[in-house]
Amino acid sequence: MSEGDGNIVVSRAEDLWRVATRRNFLKVLGLGGTIVLMPSVFAACDDGTDGVTNPGGGSAALNLSNDIGILNYAFALEQLEAAFYTAVVASAAFGGMTAEQKEVMMDLRAHEVAHREFLRAALGSAAIGDLALNSANVATAVSSTAIILKNAEAFEDLGVSAYNGAGKYIQDANYLLLAGKIVSVEARHAAAIRDLREGLSLAGTPAGTRFAGDDVVNPQGLDVKTEPAGVLTRVGATQLVTTAISIATPPTVTAATADAPPPPTP
Amino acid sequence: MDSNDTILGAIDPEITERLVSRRDAIRQGASMSTKVAAGLAMASVPIALAAMTKDAFAQAPASVTDVLNFALALEIFENEFYKAVLGTSSSAAQNTAFAPVRAQVPAAALPVFQQIQKHETQHVAFLLANGATNSLNLTADSFDFSGNRGSGVPGSFARATTELQFLLAVAQGAEDTGVRAYKGQAGNLLASGNRAVLEAALRIHSVEARHASKIRRLRRANGAPGVVKYSGTISGGGAAAAGAGNITPAPDATVVAAFNAIYGGEDVTMQGSVSITGLPNLPAGFDALAASEAFDEPLTKAQVIAIVQPFFKPTLA
Repeated sequence: MSEGDGNIVVSRAEDLWRVATRRNFLKVLGLGGTIVLMPSVFAACDDGTDGVTNPGGGSAALNLSNDIGILNYAFALEQLEAAFYTAVVASAAFGGMTAEQKEVMMDLRAHEVAHREFLRAALGSAAIGDLALNSANVATAVSSTAIILKNAEAFEDLGVSAYNGAGKYIQDANYLLLAGKIVSVEARHAAAIRDLREGLSLAGTPAGTRFAGDDVVNPQGLDVKTEPAGVLTRVGATQLVTTAISIATPPTVTAATADAPPPPTP
Repeated sequence: MDSNDTILGAIDPEITERLVSRRDAIRQGASMSTKVAAGLAMASVPIALAAMTKDAFAQAPASVTDVLNFALALEIFENEFYKAVLGTSSSAAQNTAFAPVRAQVPAAALPVFQQIQKHETQHVAFLLANGATNSLNLTADSFDFSGNRGSGVPGSFARATTELQFLLAVAQGAEDTGVRAYKGQAGNLLASGNRAVLEAALRIHSVEARHASKIRRLRRANGAPGVVKYSGTISGGGAAAAGAGNITPAPDATVVAAFNAIYGGEDVTMQGSVSITGLPNLPAGFDALAASEAFDEPLTKAQVIAIVQPFFKPTLA
């Protein structure tokens, strides 16, 4: 591995296993540098016996240097959320939910499917394809009320975090407004789900505060935000999606974006 | 996958073993499908989005400082409102005014107001530390929460000081106005090129939306009608979206007009040239209300000022 001028050249597959490389990988992506994977890396890849299956899942490589790529990034996230809530409403566990929980799940399904279908229609021929899902893992993710709500909370907070992190990379004011129209709905969802979970007597946040808890709103009063590379890492970690979503070209970072306020803690 | 784990919650923020296991992803990324490649090559604006509404940007371009100062005035307003409700205002008169309704706030709702007020204080501090100026010298006594600009005659919103349901409806309206105001200023921040401030504004914007959601849920659990969604979203538009049906006697014309302004245009079902209700693959029962819930709408600075001016003694501009 070599580095210089914000670029990383990875020549051996083993380099990807090293913590230092992984850290720099993220740093360089955040700075708008380039990751070059030498052909030797691909030659060294085996068929993978490490838990990640990708049978016919295909791939989607995002060019985040333009608005179409950012919107496709949003489209990918909305596909995942819509698929999750569709599975929730169809699950056996859904039947055992309270009336309030059912209303929330039905609403969230409707809103997320609308986001997905809107972005698909708006992007037209520039839209990435449908993400392929791991049906067994999706089934596990909706296997009880507690698991559903836990996953829903994670999805909604991730959605808020993703839009908050990507908005500054959008170049057209109309697209920025569109992202703004969606992200506040995601934040409403996140607060509702978090509030429902508080009703389950969860420990962790003081009573009455989980809707906008100190775990998601930092001491400056700023909500969560995550850069695209971090979001896609979390999406991959869900193991719900078999399509490999990657960043072909990172967002265009200017001096102004580089000094964005620090991320919230934790 | 371990069913006991959240699918997202336990992930190390660094790329850890997951990246190691992404070799398939890396390999396949190197040979992305031609369809995707074709899509990426197309950098032009899709026709459907070219027709996105430009209403929010019909306003004159504003500088970053103008936006920050405007945001600061709104945050001070919200902060002083909640402090008066909680009895922690620096103004004895404000604390006294809200004493009757304070006695009605359920114990479970108290930490909600405290958490929201904490965030509003943080927003005020953040904006002041990042270039905003309190040019109107706003203090606790700069506000007339009855909505009559301190004329001496209580305005129609004085009911918020004595009736819990009225108070909660007003708090919901204040939060939703905040959400819509920030959304309306995003374009100005983009035009300014100051992406750091833009990101911060987006992160405040979503906190306000969380607040609005929780207040809806408090109201619904205390008898508000079904239009006050448990999902925390704005259903429909105009005064009907305020869900004031549980307030008796019904709010007067002044209050109804304010709700009409606060939720005006939230009922749109077109986004750009796309009809949301006409999309394919929607769940059964998906209607215009659902379409309105799925997208929040912006307000211009002038629209926001028209809503909040009655509560400010100084003249906003």
